[in-house]
Amino acid sequence: MEIKLSLDFDAYEDGATLTPLIEQLAQDAEKSQSLTSLVIGDWGGAYEESPDGFLPALIEASGRFPNLRKLFIGDMSYEECEVSWINQTNLGLLLAAYPQLESFTIKGSTGLELEPLEHARLQELIIICGGLPSTVLQSIHKAKLPELRKLELYLGVENYGFDGDLEQDILPFLYNNPFPKLTSLGLKDSELQDEIAIAAASAPILQQLEELDLSEGTLSDKGAEALLNSEAVRGLKHLNLNYHYMSDAMVLQWRSSGVNVSLDEQQDLDDEWRYPSLTE
Amino acid sequence: MQSHTILFGNPGNKRTTGWQQALKHHKQPAALEVPYIRLLQAIRAGDRLIDLLDSLIWRHYNQHAVHHYPSDLLAQPLALRLDAPGENTAVERGLIALGADDAEGLISDDLLPLPEYTHGSTITAAMARRLEPHHGRVFYPAQWFRGYCRLLSWLRLEVQRDLSHGRWMNDPAEAAIMFDKRRCSRWLDQAGIRVPGVLAAAYEDMPGSYDSLRQLMEQQRVHRVFVKLFCGSGASGVIAYQYHPRTGAEIASTTIGMEQWNGEQIIYNSGRLRRYTDHEVIRRMIDWVGQEGMHVERWISKDMIGDMAYDVRQLVCGEQAGHAVVRLSRTPITNLHLRNKRMLLEQTDLSAAVRESIRMTAVDGLGAFPGSFCAGMDVLVPAGGGDPLIADVNPFGDLLYYVQHEGLGAYEWELARWLERK
Repeated sequence: MEIKLSLDFDAYEDGATLTPLIEQLAQDAEKSQSLTSLVIGDWGGAYEESPDGFLPALIEASGRFPNLRKLFIGDMSYEECEVSWINQTNLGLLLAAYPQLESFTIKGSTGLELEPLEHARLQELIIICGGLPSTVLQSIHKAKLPELRKLELYLGVENYGFDGDLEQDILPFLYNNPFPKLTSLGLKDSELQDEIAIAAASAPILQQLEELDLSEGTLSDKGAEALLNSEAVRGLKHLNLNYHYMSDAMVLQWRSSGVNVSLDEQQDLDDEWRYPSLTE
Repeated sequence: MQSHTILFGNPGNKRTTGWQQALKHHKQPAALEVPYIRLLQAIRAGDRLIDLLDSLIWRHYNQHAVHHYPSDLLAQPLALRLDAPGENTAVERGLIALGADDAEGLISDDLLPLPEYTHGSTITAAMARRLEPHHGRVFYPAQWFRGYCRLLSWLRLEVQRDLSHGRWMNDPAEAAIMFDKRRCSRWLDQAGIRVPGVLAAAYEDMPGSYDSLRQLMEQQRVHRVFVKLFCGSGASGVIAYQYHPRTGAEIASTTIGMEQWNGEQIIYNSGRLRRYTDHEVIRRMIDWVGQEGMHVERWISKDMIGDMAYDVRQLVCGEQAGHAVVRLSRTPITNLHLRNKRMLLEQTDLSAAVRESIRMTAVDGLGAFPGSFCAGMDVLVPAGGGDPLIADVNPFGDLLYYVQHEGLGAYEWELARWLERK
């Protein structure tokens, strides 16, 4: 069973917090047992409050949720809070408190840390944000996640917190992959999407991947060309290039390439400015 | 029984030809088309509507061998259909001229919903008629609206005087209210219809500038609002504005574009959503809306379908909910042509209860306008599952493409409801 806990603006203004909701859930004998997926939405004023307010309660409750496998911290839409305004915190201890967890999703990167990032069972790590700091990229790269199958990272733009370096912070995921069981890799929503695509096209990691996700960024014909010419890309089960700046001609080439590729949401090529999807 | 129609609109456009097709579909006589441009000329010249109609009928009889309506058309039972004046440069200029302080003809502001708050930038009637077409540019919106309300007022009085047996499908007086977002929001609220909360408790508290908007927002501890040009249609003049209460960062999402042109600040509708974060640009833009007339609502977080927020354009005619188009977007503004998706209500995975509550909200909303037979209601479902609200009422919101209800297109269905009414 999946449960979502969140507070709307009015409840937050009235002084409500998420802690009592978490405690109630923990004390509900039936729900706490059947809970397999917990989604934390807006914890109230996420633009000014970090999860620090409710984290102790959630860590405390871990023994009450024996079947919890999926956790999402910060599931709120742009209608609730701008993604770049969501305040996060160090979620490493939270993850450690749930050793049975298999899937962990985080939205928002302001103040985000993942220390320590060690987990024996985690299979899926997803970070959705407007700009991922290099400290977090470094934490992930040196993480001990032996079971990780899927890694999906929104890299974002400088304005919203991306301060990474292509060589030092991104390419290691392609050329020096630390996750032996990884089959799905997303390095997406980036303003360096072409550079990432070119690097990915000849990266050793393609040998173990089933899915490569380079969607939501500023991918143009330049990066697409490299992918199209890559033998290893043809070995993928799925290539996700949704939201892109490729030309009609390139889209046609993909369609006849025999690669299982997603190409939705072609952007306006005449646009003066090109933005990744989650930054506009 | 057959009924006859007089259609006030811009001949040749999709609306006019669409309505004629709907009449044909239901085997009704063709409508007499009365162009807005002729109405404007008549007002300026001090002519009567009845004489204009007579001359249009006379001309039709002289020019055509096959007659679409009888020569005594005006003595027949008549439906009066008012359609949108938009997408016609000459009409736009004529309406701005009619809204001028020095406009000529039989002029009354009695349908202008908030005359004391409808003073934007102005030009003289003569200058308005000489305005150069400028694609996308928004010209003198408050003056345009004053002109349009003057035209509606004239039309309504002329009909009362000489065509009193004619039945308006939508009463022009109510169309004027719907068109003024400030008035419409309060009108609905007073009728007990749920609308997004307005920040200004009374009309005199409405902000007229960026500074007064910020003051009002800070007073009420609201940092996300929709700022709307009071008389814009669609996404035109709408700004989703928010500031960060701690850092002061600002974001304004809007289709409004601003440019310097010949030393003048040009405001135009760029047709695509832009995201502004520069304080000075945002200030200038909101000041412009404030000068023309600003409606400010709290930003209600919209419910999501998948990863997209949505609202619903629900057609209501004769107290029945008809066609519904769900508009989905990854941006705060759903009613754009670009980059947004549409679905039919039945195609969504929304529960039957939510769908029914959307329809009921729309029907109740139009119920606040007893003189209006049909309108396009914009219905918003709040995130977290609250009751739907009415975000906008569009008196000409019945033009919906590629959607059927009970096997009929929007106009055909609307006309069927009109013909069956008691």
